Amino acid sequence: MRIFNGFAVLLCSTLILSSCTIYDKIFDNPVDFKANEERGIEAPTLVFYPKSQTKTQTDSIIVGSFIVFKDDSTEPFSGLQLQIEFPNNLIELDTILPGLFLTDTSQSTPLFTYTYNGNNLVDIYAYFLGTTKLDIDGTGHLADLIFSPSASGKDSIFYHLNNCTMINHKDDQIEVNGIRSAEIIIE
Amino acid sequence: MYLIFFSNLVFAFDQEATYLVLNHFDESLPNIDQSLIDNFNNASFNFDESVNLLFDDIDSDNNPASKYMDQIKELGAIHHVNYILLNKIKHIDNRIIMEGLLFNTRSGGLVHRRKINVKNYNNGSVNEISLWVGEIRNKIQKQWEKARESIMFQNPEEISYDKTPMGAALRSLAIPGWGQAYSGNSLSAGLWAALELSLSVAFISSYTNYDTSAKSYLQNLKSYNTTDDEKEVSAYRASAEKDWDDHVMYSKLAIALAGSTITGWVSNSVHAWVFGPRPYTNIYQKGLPQTAVPKG
Repeated sequence: MRIFNGFAVLLCSTLILSSCTIYDKIFDNPVDFKANEERGIEAPTLVFYPKSQTKTQTDSIIVGSFIVFKDDSTEPFSGLQLQIEFPNNLIELDTILPGLFLTDTSQSTPLFTYTYNGNNLVDIYAYFLGTTKLDIDGTGHLADLIFSPSASGKDSIFYHLNNCTMINHKDDQIEVNGIRSAEIIIE
Repeated sequence: MYLIFFSNLVFAFDQEATYLVLNHFDESLPNIDQSLIDNFNNASFNFDESVNLLFDDIDSDNNPASKYMDQIKELGAIHHVNYILLNKIKHIDNRIIMEGLLFNTRSGGLVHRRKINVKNYNNGSVNEISLWVGEIRNKIQKQWEKARESIMFQNPEEISYDKTPMGAALRSLAIPGWGQAYSGNSLSAGLWAALELSLSVAFISSYTNYDTSAKSYLQNLKSYNTTDDEKEVSAYRASAEKDWDDHVMYSKLAIALAGSTITGWVSNSVHAWVFGPRPYTNIYQKGLPQTAVPKG
Protein backbone atom coordinates (compact mmCIF):
# COMPACT_ATOMS: atom_id res chain seq x y z
CA MET A 1 0.00 0.00 0.00
CA ARG A 2 2.73 2.46 0.98
CA ILE A 3 4.78 1.55 -2.08
CA PHE A 4 1.72 2.13 -4.24
CA ASN A 5 1.03 5.50 -2.61
CA GLY A 6 4.65 6.50 -2.96
CA PHE A 7 4.65 5.56 -6.61
CA ALA A 8 1.43 7.52 -7.23
CA VAL A 9 2.81 10.61 -5.49
CA LEU A 10 6.07 10.33 -7.44
CA LEU A 11 4.22 9.94 -10.73
CA CYS A 12 1.98 12.93 -10.01
CA SER A 13 4.93 15.05 -8.91
CA THR A 14 6.88 14.17 -12.05
CA LEU A 15 3.94 14.97 -14.29
CA ILE A 16 3.24 18.25 -12.49
CA LEU A 17 6.87 19.35 -12.56
CA SER A 18 7.08 18.37 -16.20
CA SER A 19 3.91 20.36 -16.85
CA CYS A 20 5.61 23.37 -15.33
CA THR A 21 8.19 23.41 -18.11
CA ILE A 22 7.43 26.33 -20.38
CA TYR A 23 9.84 26.50 -23.29
CA ASP A 24 11.36 29.80 -24.31
CA LYS A 25 9.64 31.38 -27.25
CA ILE A 26 12.71 32.25 -29.32
CA PHE A 27 12.41 32.79 -33.06
CA ASP A 28 15.72 33.92 -34.52
CA ASN A 29 16.04 32.89 -38.11
CA PRO A 30 17.81 35.72 -40.01
CA VAL A 31 15.55 35.11 -43.02
CA ASP A 32 12.50 35.87 -40.83
CA PHE A 33 11.76 39.61 -41.03
CA LYS A 34 9.66 39.35 -37.83
CA ALA A 35 12.62 37.93 -35.93
CA ASN A 36 14.80 40.78 -37.21
CA GLU A 37 12.20 43.37 -36.27
CA GLU A 38 11.97 41.87 -32.78
CA ARG A 39 15.69 42.64 -32.47
CA GLY A 40 15.26 46.20 -33.72
CA ILE A 41 16.61 45.52 -37.22
CA GLU A 42 14.38 47.07 -39.84
CA ALA A 43 13.76 45.66 -43.31
CA PRO A 44 15.07 45.59 -45.94
CA THR A 45 17.85 43.71 -44.19
CA LEU A 46 20.99 42.07 -45.45
CA VAL A 47 21.64 38.91 -43.51
CA PHE A 48 23.71 35.75 -43.54
CA TYR A 49 22.32 32.28 -43.14
CA PRO A 50 22.95 30.38 -40.98
CA LYS A 51 23.52 32.90 -38.25
CA SER A 52 26.04 30.60 -36.60
CA GLN A 53 27.89 27.50 -37.64
CA THR A 54 30.59 25.32 -36.17
CA LYS A 55 32.98 23.51 -38.45
CA THR A 56 36.18 21.50 -38.27
CA GLN A 57 39.42 22.26 -40.04
CA THR A 58 38.54 19.88 -42.87
CA ASP A 59 35.07 21.24 -43.57
CA SER A 60 34.02 23.82 -46.12
CA ILE A 61 32.12 26.78 -44.76
CA ILE A 62 29.17 27.93 -46.81
CA VAL A 63 27.62 31.23 -45.83
CA GLY A 64 24.48 32.35 -47.64
CA SER A 65 23.83 36.02 -48.24
CA PHE A 66 20.15 37.05 -48.19
CA ILE A 67 18.04 40.13 -48.64
CA VAL A 68 14.99 40.14 -46.36
CA PHE A 69 11.95 42.29 -46.99
CA LYS A 70 8.75 42.58 -45.00
CA ASP A 71 6.20 40.49 -46.83
CA ASP A 72 3.85 43.45 -47.28
CA SER A 73 6.42 46.03 -48.40
CA THR A 74 8.77 44.45 -50.90
CA GLU A 75 10.54 46.61 -53.44
CA PRO A 76 11.69 45.32 -56.83
CA PHE A 77 15.40 45.70 -57.43
CA SER A 78 17.60 45.29 -60.48
CA GLY A 79 21.08 45.59 -59.12
CA LEU A 80 23.04 45.37 -55.92
CA GLN A 81 26.48 45.79 -54.43
CA LEU A 82 27.45 44.04 -51.24
CA GLN A 83 30.65 44.62 -49.30
CA ILE A 84 31.43 41.78 -46.94
CA GLU A 85 34.25 41.51 -44.44
CA PHE A 86 35.35 38.12 -43.17
CA PRO A 87 37.99 37.09 -40.59
CA ASN A 88 40.94 36.15 -42.79
CA ASN A 89 42.90 34.96 -39.80
CA LEU A 90 40.34 32.18 -39.44
CA ILE A 91 39.05 31.40 -42.91
CA GLU A 92 40.17 31.80 -46.53
CA LEU A 93 37.88 32.73 -49.39
CA ASP A 94 37.34 29.84 -51.74
CA THR A 95 34.40 30.57 -54.07
CA ILE A 96 31.46 32.93 -54.47
CA LEU A 97 28.36 31.71 -56.28
CA PRO A 98 25.20 33.62 -57.32
CA GLY A 99 22.19 32.86 -55.21
CA LEU A 100 19.10 31.03 -56.39
CA PHE A 101 17.05 34.20 -56.02
CA LEU A 102 19.14 35.98 -58.61
CA THR A 103 19.38 33.05 -60.99
CA ASP A 104 15.69 32.29 -60.59
CA THR A 105 16.61 28.82 -59.38
CA SER A 106 19.21 28.50 -62.13
CA GLN A 107 16.80 29.58 -64.90
CA SER A 108 18.54 32.87 -65.76
CA THR A 109 22.07 34.23 -65.61
CA PRO A 110 22.34 37.82 -64.45
CA LEU A 111 25.62 39.70 -64.46
CA PHE A 112 27.29 38.49 -61.33
CA THR A 113 30.83 39.33 -60.35
CA TYR A 114 32.92 40.12 -57.33
CA THR A 115 36.19 41.64 -56.32
CA TYR A 116 38.44 40.45 -53.55
CA ASN A 117 41.07 42.72 -52.07
CA GLY A 118 43.25 39.76 -51.16
CA ASN A 119 42.84 40.50 -47.52
CA ASN A 120 39.44 40.30 -45.86
CA LEU A 121 37.02 42.31 -48.02
CA VAL A 122 34.80 41.04 -50.81
CA ASP A 123 32.60 43.22 -53.02
CA ILE A 124 29.82 41.44 -54.88
CA TYR A 125 27.98 42.97 -57.83
CA ALA A 126 24.85 41.67 -59.52
CA TYR A 127 22.73 43.31 -62.27
CA PHE A 128 19.78 42.38 -64.43
CA LEU A 129 20.50 43.56 -67.94
CA GLY A 130 17.75 41.70 -69.75
CA THR A 131 14.71 43.17 -71.50
CA THR A 132 12.11 40.63 -70.46
CA LYS A 133 12.94 40.62 -66.77
CA LEU A 134 13.92 43.95 -65.33
CA ASP A 135 13.89 43.24 -61.64
CA ILE A 136 13.00 40.87 -58.79
CA ASP A 137 11.29 41.50 -55.50
CA GLY A 138 10.91 39.79 -52.15
CA THR A 139 13.11 37.99 -49.73
CA GLY A 140 15.74 35.82 -51.37
CA HIS A 141 19.09 34.23 -51.69
CA LEU A 142 21.71 36.58 -53.18
CA ALA A 143 24.95 34.64 -53.03
CA ASP A 144 26.82 31.78 -51.44
CA LEU A 145 30.29 32.46 -50.05
CA ILE A 146 32.43 29.37 -49.64
CA PHE A 147 35.42 29.49 -47.31
CA SER A 148 38.13 27.14 -46.16
CA PRO A 149 39.25 27.11 -42.53
CA SER A 150 42.81 28.26 -41.89
CA ALA A 151 42.92 28.24 -38.10
CA SER A 152 40.83 27.46 -35.06
CA GLY A 153 38.81 30.14 -33.39
CA LYS A 154 35.59 32.08 -33.36
CA ASP A 155 34.76 35.23 -35.30
CA SER A 156 32.11 36.89 -37.43
CA ILE A 157 31.46 37.73 -41.03
CA PHE A 158 29.54 40.94 -41.63
CA TYR A 159 28.35 43.51 -44.16
CA HIS A 160 29.63 47.05 -44.42
CA LEU A 161 26.27 48.74 -44.60
CA ASN A 162 27.62 52.00 -45.96
CA ASN A 163 29.07 50.19 -48.93
CA CYS A 164 26.03 48.08 -49.71
CA THR A 165 23.69 49.40 -52.37
CA MET A 166 20.50 48.27 -54.08
CA ILE A 167 18.97 49.95 -57.11
CA ASN A 168 15.83 49.46 -59.17
CA HIS A 169 15.65 49.34 -62.95
CA LYS A 170 15.38 53.13 -63.03
CA ASP A 171 18.67 53.35 -61.21
CA ASP A 172 16.96 54.71 -58.09
CA GLN A 173 18.59 53.62 -54.88
CA ILE A 174 16.69 51.35 -52.49
CA GLU A 175 17.64 51.99 -48.92
CA VAL A 176 18.94 49.05 -46.91
CA ASN A 177 17.90 49.59 -43.29
CA GLY A 178 19.73 46.86 -41.47
CA ILE A 179 22.33 44.15 -41.50
CA ARG A 180 23.01 41.03 -39.48
CA SER A 181 26.33 39.30 -39.15
CA ALA A 182 27.03 35.57 -38.84
CA GLU A 183 29.20 33.71 -36.40
CA ILE A 184 31.78 31.15 -37.53
CA ILE A 185 33.45 28.74 -35.14
CA ILE A 186 36.33 26.61 -36.30
CA GLU A 187 37.26 23.74 -33.99
CA MET B 1 -23.60 -5.53 19.78
CA TYR B 2 -26.95 -4.97 21.37
CA LEU B 3 -29.78 -2.57 20.78
CA ILE B 4 -32.04 -0.99 23.26
CA PHE B 5 -35.28 0.76 22.34
CA PHE B 6 -37.23 2.49 24.99
CA SER B 7 -38.47 5.87 26.02
CA ASN B 8 -36.68 8.19 28.34
CA LEU B 9 -39.93 9.17 29.94
CA VAL B 10 -40.17 8.40 33.59
CA PHE B 11 -43.67 7.78 34.81
CA ALA B 12 -44.44 8.74 38.33
CA PHE B 13 -47.42 6.50 38.87
CA ASP B 14 -49.56 6.37 41.91
CA GLN B 15 -47.52 4.55 44.51
CA GLU B 16 -50.64 2.66 45.63
CA ALA B 17 -51.58 1.59 42.09
CA THR B 18 -52.72 -1.93 41.40
CA TYR B 19 -51.40 -3.93 38.47
CA LEU B 20 -52.46 -6.99 36.59
CA VAL B 21 -49.21 -8.56 35.40
CA LEU B 22 -49.29 -10.76 32.31
CA ASN B 23 -45.99 -12.51 31.78
CA HIS B 24 -45.38 -14.23 28.47
CA PHE B 25 -41.97 -15.88 28.55
CA ASP B 26 -40.48 -18.42 26.18
CA GLU B 27 -38.80 -20.12 29.10
CA SER B 28 -39.66 -20.36 32.74
CA LEU B 29 -38.63 -17.63 35.20
CA PRO B 30 -39.75 -19.24 38.49
CA ASN B 31 -39.10 -16.37 40.87
CA ILE B 32 -40.24 -13.47 38.80
CA ASP B 33 -43.63 -12.95 40.46
CA GLN B 34 -42.18 -12.96 43.93
CA SER B 35 -39.31 -10.76 42.79
CA LEU B 36 -41.75 -8.05 41.69
CA ILE B 37 -43.67 -8.26 44.93
CA ASP B 38 -40.46 -8.03 46.95
CA ASN B 39 -38.92 -5.22 44.98
CA PHE B 40 -42.06 -3.08 44.77
CA ASN B 41 -43.79 -3.87 48.02
CA ASN B 42 -45.99 -0.80 48.10
CA ALA B 43 -47.70 -1.76 44.87
CA SER B 44 -50.31 -4.45 44.39
CA PHE B 45 -49.69 -7.02 41.67
CA ASN B 46 -52.13 -9.62 40.41
CA PHE B 47 -50.78 -12.32 38.11
CA ASP B 48 -52.93 -14.05 35.57
CA GLU B 49 -51.41 -16.62 33.26
CA SER B 50 -54.72 -17.42 31.62
CA VAL B 51 -54.66 -14.44 29.28
CA ASN B 52 -52.75 -15.68 26.26
CA LEU B 53 -52.07 -14.36 22.83
CA LEU B 54 -54.07 -11.25 23.50
CA PHE B 55 -51.43 -8.71 22.60
CA ASP B 56 -49.76 -10.16 19.56
CA ASP B 57 -49.25 -8.07 16.44
CA ILE B 58 -49.65 -4.76 18.22
CA ASP B 59 -47.47 -3.03 15.63
CA SER B 60 -49.61 -4.23 12.75
CA ASP B 61 -52.45 -1.92 13.75
CA ASN B 62 -52.65 1.66 12.55
CA ASN B 63 -53.21 2.82 16.10
CA PRO B 64 -51.51 0.29 18.37
CA ALA B 65 -52.10 2.38 21.49
CA SER B 66 -55.83 1.83 21.24
CA LYS B 67 -55.98 -1.55 19.54
CA TYR B 68 -56.99 -3.51 22.67
CA MET B 69 -58.91 -0.74 24.40
CA ASP B 70 -62.05 -2.75 25.04
CA GLN B 71 -60.23 -5.86 26.22
CA ILE B 72 -58.07 -3.78 28.58
CA LYS B 73 -61.09 -2.09 30.13
CA GLU B 74 -62.80 -5.45 30.52
CA LEU B 75 -59.73 -7.04 32.16
CA GLY B 76 -59.39 -4.02 34.45
CA ALA B 77 -62.99 -4.38 35.56
CA ILE B 78 -62.65 -8.13 36.14
CA HIS B 79 -59.43 -7.85 38.17
CA HIS B 80 -60.07 -4.43 39.73
CA VAL B 81 -56.69 -3.02 38.78
CA ASN B 82 -55.49 0.39 37.60
CA TYR B 83 -52.96 -0.89 35.10
CA ILE B 84 -52.19 -3.95 33.07
CA LEU B 85 -48.51 -4.76 32.70
CA LEU B 86 -47.57 -7.11 29.89
CA ASN B 87 -44.04 -8.51 29.88
CA LYS B 88 -42.90 -10.57 26.90
CA ILE B 89 -39.46 -12.16 26.88
CA LYS B 90 -37.88 -14.26 24.15
CA HIS B 91 -34.40 -15.70 24.16
CA ILE B 92 -32.74 -15.88 20.78
CA ASP B 93 -29.22 -17.22 20.65
CA ASN B 94 -27.46 -15.47 23.49
CA ARG B 95 -29.73 -12.45 23.62
CA ILE B 96 -32.75 -11.33 25.58
CA ILE B 97 -35.50 -9.70 23.54
CA MET B 98 -37.95 -8.10 25.91
CA GLU B 99 -41.06 -6.07 25.27
CA GLY B 100 -42.94 -4.34 28.03
CA LEU B 101 -46.39 -2.78 27.60
CA LEU B 102 -48.27 -0.76 30.20
CA PHE B 103 -51.98 -0.15 29.68
CA ASN B 104 -54.28 2.12 31.67
CA THR B 105 -57.48 0.23 32.45
CA ARG B 106 -59.57 3.39 32.80
CA SER B 107 -58.91 4.56 29.23
CA GLY B 108 -57.87 1.21 27.80
CA GLY B 109 -54.93 2.84 26.05
CA LEU B 110 -51.26 1.92 25.88
CA VAL B 111 -49.46 4.45 28.07
CA HIS B 112 -45.91 3.16 28.08
CA ARG B 113 -43.87 0.73 26.07
CA ARG B 114 -40.35 -0.56 26.09
CA LYS B 115 -38.50 -2.85 23.71
CA ILE B 116 -35.04 -4.07 24.48
CA ASN B 117 -32.58 -6.39 22.75
CA VAL B 118 -29.61 -7.06 24.96
CA LYS B 119 -26.93 -9.68 25.43
CA ASN B 120 -27.96 -12.23 28.01
CA TYR B 121 -26.29 -12.02 31.38
CA ASN B 122 -26.61 -13.56 34.79
CA ASN B 123 -30.26 -13.44 35.89
CA GLY B 124 -30.70 -10.99 33.03
CA SER B 125 -34.40 -11.57 32.36
CA VAL B 126 -35.42 -10.94 35.94
CA ASN B 127 -33.12 -7.94 36.14
CA GLU B 128 -34.50 -6.45 32.93
CA ILE B 129 -38.07 -6.80 34.21
CA SER B 130 -37.02 -5.15 37.45
CA LEU B 131 -35.47 -2.28 35.51
CA TRP B 132 -38.59 -1.97 33.38
CA VAL B 133 -41.02 -1.93 36.33
CA GLY B 134 -38.58 0.25 38.26
CA GLU B 135 -38.67 2.76 35.46
CA ILE B 136 -42.47 2.76 35.55
CA ARG B 137 -42.50 3.28 39.28
CA ASN B 138 -39.45 5.54 39.26
CA LYS B 139 -37.64 3.22 41.63
CA ILE B 140 -34.50 1.87 40.01
CA GLN B 141 -32.06 0.23 42.31
CA LYS B 142 -28.33 0.60 41.84
CA GLN B 143 -27.67 -3.12 41.88
CA TRP B 144 -29.92 -3.60 38.84
CA GLU B 145 -27.88 -1.10 36.90
CA LYS B 146 -24.66 -2.70 38.10
CA ALA B 147 -25.92 -6.08 37.01
CA ARG B 148 -26.62 -4.84 33.54
CA GLU B 149 -23.23 -3.16 33.35
CA SER B 150 -21.70 -6.60 33.62
CA ILE B 151 -22.43 -7.11 29.92
CA MET B 152 -20.38 -4.08 29.00
CA PHE B 153 -16.65 -4.13 28.39
CA GLN B 154 -14.87 -3.62 31.64
CA ASN B 155 -11.97 -1.90 29.90
CA PRO B 156 -13.37 -0.01 26.92
CA GLU B 157 -9.96 1.34 26.02
CA GLU B 158 -8.85 -2.20 25.23
CA ILE B 159 -11.59 -2.72 22.68
CA SER B 160 -10.22 -3.25 19.20
CA TYR B 161 -12.48 -2.36 16.32
CA ASP B 162 -12.64 -4.08 12.97
CA LYS B 163 -13.25 -0.77 11.19
CA THR B 164 -11.66 2.51 12.15
CA PRO B 165 -11.68 6.06 10.74
CA MET B 166 -7.95 5.76 10.07
CA GLY B 167 -8.56 2.58 8.10
CA ALA B 168 -11.15 4.44 6.04
CA ALA B 169 -8.80 7.41 5.51
CA LEU B 170 -5.92 5.21 4.35
CA ARG B 171 -8.16 3.31 1.98
CA SER B 172 -9.45 6.53 0.45
CA LEU B 173 -5.90 7.77 0.15
CA ALA B 174 -5.07 4.66 -1.86
CA ILE B 175 -8.24 4.61 -3.98
CA PRO B 176 -10.75 7.49 -3.76
CA GLY B 177 -14.10 6.27 -2.48
CA TRP B 178 -12.73 3.05 -1.04
CA GLY B 179 -12.80 4.45 2.50
CA GLN B 180 -16.40 5.58 2.12
CA ALA B 181 -17.36 2.16 0.73
CA TYR B 182 -15.51 0.57 3.65
CA SER B 183 -17.65 2.72 5.96
CA GLY B 184 -20.79 1.54 4.19
CA ASN B 185 -21.57 4.78 2.39
CA SER B 186 -21.92 3.64 -1.20
CA LEU B 187 -23.37 6.89 -2.56
CA SER B 188 -20.56 8.97 -1.14
CA ALA B 189 -18.03 6.42 -2.35
CA GLY B 190 -19.43 6.59 -5.86
CA LEU B 191 -19.45 10.38 -5.90
CA TRP B 192 -15.86 10.66 -4.66
CA ALA B 193 -14.65 8.00 -7.06
CA ALA B 194 -16.44 9.68 -9.98
CA LEU B 195 -15.10 13.12 -9.02
CA GLU B 196 -11.52 11.94 -8.68
CA LEU B 197 -11.74 9.84 -11.82
CA SER B 198 -13.07 12.82 -13.79
CA LEU B 199 -10.36 15.12 -12.45
CA SER B 200 -7.68 12.53 -13.14
CA VAL B 201 -8.87 11.94 -16.68
CA ALA B 202 -9.05 15.69 -17.29
CA PHE B 203 -5.55 16.11 -15.90
CA ILE B 204 -4.12 13.28 -18.00
CA SER B 205 -5.89 14.66 -21.07
CA SER B 206 -4.49 18.15 -20.45
CA TYR B 207 -1.04 16.75 -19.80
CA THR B 208 -1.18 14.72 -23.01
CA ASN B 209 -2.22 17.81 -24.96
CA TYR B 210 0.55 19.78 -23.29
CA ASP B 211 3.09 17.12 -24.18
CA THR B 212 1.89 16.95 -27.79
CA SER B 213 1.96 20.73 -28.16
CA ALA B 214 5.39 21.02 -26.57
CA LYS B 215 6.88 18.36 -28.86
CA SER B 216 5.22 19.89 -31.87
CA TYR B 217 6.58 23.31 -30.89
CA LEU B 218 10.12 21.96 -30.60
CA GLN B 219 9.82 20.17 -33.93
CA ASN B 220 8.46 23.24 -35.72
CA LEU B 221 11.10 25.43 -34.08
CA LYS B 222 13.80 23.08 -35.31
CA SER B 223 12.36 23.15 -38.84
CA TYR B 224 12.08 26.94 -38.62
CA ASN B 225 15.73 27.26 -37.68
CA THR B 226 16.98 24.90 -40.36
CA THR B 227 15.39 26.43 -43.43
CA ASP B 228 16.30 29.53 -45.41
CA ASP B 229 13.12 29.51 -47.49
CA GLU B 230 11.05 32.50 -46.51
CA LYS B 231 7.72 30.74 -47.07
CA GLU B 232 8.74 27.75 -44.99
CA VAL B 233 10.12 30.06 -42.33
CA SER B 234 6.80 31.87 -42.16
CA ALA B 235 4.79 28.63 -42.07
CA TYR B 236 6.95 26.94 -39.43
CA ARG B 237 6.90 30.07 -37.32
CA ALA B 238 3.09 30.30 -37.45
CA SER B 239 2.79 26.63 -36.46
CA ALA B 240 5.36 26.96 -33.72
CA GLU B 241 3.66 30.06 -32.28
CA LYS B 242 0.33 28.23 -32.15
CA ASP B 243 1.99 25.21 -30.52
CA TRP B 244 3.71 27.48 -28.01
CA ASP B 245 0.42 29.14 -27.04
CA ASP B 246 -1.22 25.71 -26.74
CA HIS B 247 1.53 24.23 -24.62
CA VAL B 248 1.35 27.19 -22.22
CA MET B 249 -2.43 26.91 -21.96
CA TYR B 250 -2.42 23.13 -21.43
CA SER B 251 0.42 23.41 -18.96
CA LYS B 252 -1.57 25.85 -16.81
CA LEU B 253 -4.66 23.69 -17.18
CA ALA B 254 -2.75 20.53 -16.26
CA ILE B 255 -1.26 22.19 -13.19
CA ALA B 256 -4.67 23.48 -12.09
CA LEU B 257 -6.25 20.07 -12.63
CA ALA B 258 -3.38 18.31 -10.86
CA GLY B 259 -3.84 20.66 -7.92
CA SER B 260 -7.57 19.99 -7.91
CA THR B 261 -7.01 16.25 -8.18
CA ILE B 262 -4.55 16.16 -5.29
CA THR B 263 -6.69 18.50 -3.17
CA GLY B 264 -9.74 16.38 -3.90
CA TRP B 265 -7.78 13.21 -3.15
CA VAL B 266 -6.67 14.48 0.23
CA SER B 267 -10.15 15.90 0.95
CA ASN B 268 -11.60 12.53 0.09
CA SER B 269 -9.29 10.91 2.60
CA VAL B 270 -10.15 13.50 5.26
CA HIS B 271 -13.85 13.01 4.50
CA ALA B 272 -13.43 9.27 4.91
CA TRP B 273 -11.76 9.86 8.27
CA VAL B 274 -14.36 12.37 9.51
CA PHE B 275 -17.31 10.20 8.49
CA GLY B 276 -15.47 6.95 9.10
CA PRO B 277 -16.84 4.10 11.18
CA ARG B 278 -16.93 4.96 14.87
CA PRO B 279 -18.38 2.62 17.48
CA TYR B 280 -21.11 3.87 19.80
CA THR B 281 -19.61 4.04 23.24
CA ASN B 282 -22.65 4.99 25.28
CA ILE B 283 -25.54 2.93 23.93
CA TYR B 284 -26.20 1.46 27.32
CA GLN B 285 -26.08 4.70 29.25
CA LYS B 286 -28.39 6.46 26.84
CA GLY B 287 -31.34 4.38 27.98
CA LEU B 288 -30.95 5.00 31.68
CA PRO B 289 -32.67 7.76 33.65
CA GLN B 290 -30.61 10.91 33.62
CA THR B 291 -29.70 10.60 37.27
CA ALA B 292 -28.24 7.17 36.66
CA VAL B 293 -26.02 8.09 33.72
CA PRO B 294 -22.38 8.02 34.74
CA LYS B 295 -20.58 11.29 34.17
CA GLY B 296 -17.76 11.62 31.71
